[in-house]
Formats: sequence, structure tokens, C-alpha cells
Amino acid sequence: MMMLGLGPTVARLKLRRCESVGLIPTVWGRVWIHGGGEIRVGHRVVFDARMAPIELHAQKGARIVLEDDVTIEGGSSIEAQSSITVGARSRLGMWCKVLDNMYHPLRGNRHSRPQSVPLVLEEGVTVGSRSILLPGTHLQRGVSVAPGTVISRRIPAGVSVGGSPARVLRRGEAR
Amino acid sequence: MSHGLPSVAETAQAVRSGIQVVRAEVLPRAERAVGIARARWLFRAFRRGQGVAAYGPVSARNDGHAELGDRLTFLGGMMPTSVACYEGARLLVGNECHFNYGVSLEAWESVQIGARCMFASFVRVSDRDGQRIAPIIIEDDVWVAHGAILLPGVRIGARSVVSAGSIVSQDVPPDSLAMGNPARSMSLDLVAREATGS
Repeated sequence: MMMLGLGPTVARLKLRRCESVGLIPTVWGRVWIHGGGEIRVGHRVVFDARMAPIELHAQKGARIVLEDDVTIEGGSSIEAQSSITVGARSRLGMWCKVLDNMYHPLRGNRHSRPQSVPLVLEEGVTVGSRSILLPGTHLQRGVSVAPGTVISRRIPAGVSVGGSPARVLRRGEAR
Repeated sequence: MSHGLPSVAETAQAVRSGIQVVRAEVLPRAERAVGIARARWLFRAFRRGQGVAAYGPVSARNDGHAELGDRLTFLGGMMPTSVACYEGARLLVGNECHFNYGVSLEAWESVQIGARCMFASFVRVSDRDGQRIAPIIIEDDVWVAHGAILLPGVRIGARSVVSAGSIVSQDVPPDSLAMGNPARSMSLDLVAREATGS
């Protein structure tokens, strides 16, 4: 496919259920798009799902926005009940889980749906593999997240975090 | 006019409502029936209750004594769920438990799971970690969230919540929230009411 120059066309076909797809998308492997929500994909986005499928789930009325030059690796799943934004030049590692809703309340009736919190990843964020981004996460510019981290807070710009629960590993230079 | 054939708009409306009824009522039941049939084959080596349904791929293996309760649900997804009960082991799963995709349930000696538990995706429950073998007991109404790992010898109290990505190495009392690596427990009463669960 790549040799024939059909890559972007095939990618566009695989992303046909998205609301909009930017220039030159790259899709290797399977991308599952579920739900009746709105998914916007920016320019030059890469889905590398050769090892495991990528799951994008936007509930009806919800929206997932992947901005320009985002890379998402296999096994990641992004599940939006209200809104998830992934900023430009961000990178999501393998087996990541990004949720904007806990799906079950901690107490009371476990089968009712709690309120969702819109989740934002700003520009240039790197998320390591097997990380879990829970509702309430707000990663500001240039945050880097170590593999296997669990986050549910705002992380200030340029900081690198790791561990479970997440703690600061290194503070970046002030910008 | 009103006694003639229904207009195009009326026909479209009727068809649309028909499709909606099929989507909302018929399809879920059909899927459940297919899931029950699939589970009957997949769990043929298990002693199982009524209405066990597997919506996706499950790799099941039983060389010991494995019992599944009534109305269990195994959801499908990007990874198969695996349920294994090795020789001389005992695996008991209570009624109305839910298992999301990618759950790995392994019994080498004894694993007991109560009723109405929920296991999210990629949860690992194994009573052997390479060094020791110790029984795991999970009481009723426990919710184990995405990617949590339960180590051998752990007892999770009733109505507790194990938060996403935590690694539980010590007992969790009833009505508490366990989070982190290694998991620390706190009473659910102390968790803020307005928290979204984080």
C-alpha cells in the first residue's frame, strides 16, 4: 500500500466514521471507532495499531479532538462521554487508557453513570505506555508522563510525572 | 385522503420507530442469547450456573474445581479474557459478576469471588506470583477498576473499590478505597462526595 502511495487513502477509509480527517493521515492496523459521537482528527495524525487495535469511543453528544501531528500507539483506548482533547504533537504510548468518566460511582447504585469531566491534554504531551488518565486530568504544555502512571489531576507545564499515585519526577525549565 | 395509503413521511416514521425498537429491545437480547451459547461451549469444563454469557473471546481452562455462578457477563474487546484453574485448585465466582475484556483470572490454589463484583479491563488476579502461592478472597460487591493487579494472599472486603492501576499487596477492609502502588486503603466515607471518583 505504501509503495503504491495508497496509505493516506486507505487510512481515510479506515477513519471514515470520523467527523473530519486532516491531511495525510496514517493508520497501521485496526482503529475501532464506536459510539455516535463526534471525532475530529487533525493533520498528519499517526495511528500505529500494528500490535493491538486502537479504540476511539465517543458517546452520542461527546467529542474527541486529536489535533495535528498526534501519534497514538496500539492498544490505547480513548473513551469520551463528554469531551477529550489531545493537543498538537502529543504522543500516546501503547495500552494507554484515557477516560473522562468513571462509569460507576464510588458509592450508591453502581450502575448509575456519574458526571463526566472534560479531559484536556495540551500541546507536546508525551504519555508513556500503560498509563491511565482518569477524569479530572489536565496535562499542560510539554508534560511527560512515565509509563504506568495513573493521573487524575492538573499537571503544570513542563513537569514530568510518574508512579501510582502520580508524583513529580522532574520539573522542567520555566518557559 | 386520510383513508388512502400512508404518506411517505408516515412510512418513514414507522420504519424508523421499528428500527429503534429492534436496536433497543431485540438486538441486546439476541446478543445475550449468542453470548450464553458461546459461554456454554467455552466454559464446558466448568461447573456453571444459569445465564453465563461471553460476549467476546474468552480462553477458559479448568484442571481443578471451578464453579461459576449465575448470570455472569464476560465482555469482549481488544484482548481476550482468560480464566484458568490449574490442577488441584479451586476457583469460585459468585452470581452476577461482570468481567470486562482482558481480565486474567488464575487459580493455582484458591481464588474466591463474591456476588455482584465488577472487574474492569486488564485486571489481573492470580494467587501465584512466582515466589509464593496464597489464596485470594474477594467479597461481595467489589469493584476492581482498570489495570489493577491483585497479588496472592489478598482479601478484599465487601463493597470496596480498588482504583485504576493499583497493585494490591495487603488486605483491603470492607467499604474502603484502595489506590496506588503498593495500594493504601482509606475508608470510602472519607473520600470527598463531589469527587468524580478520582
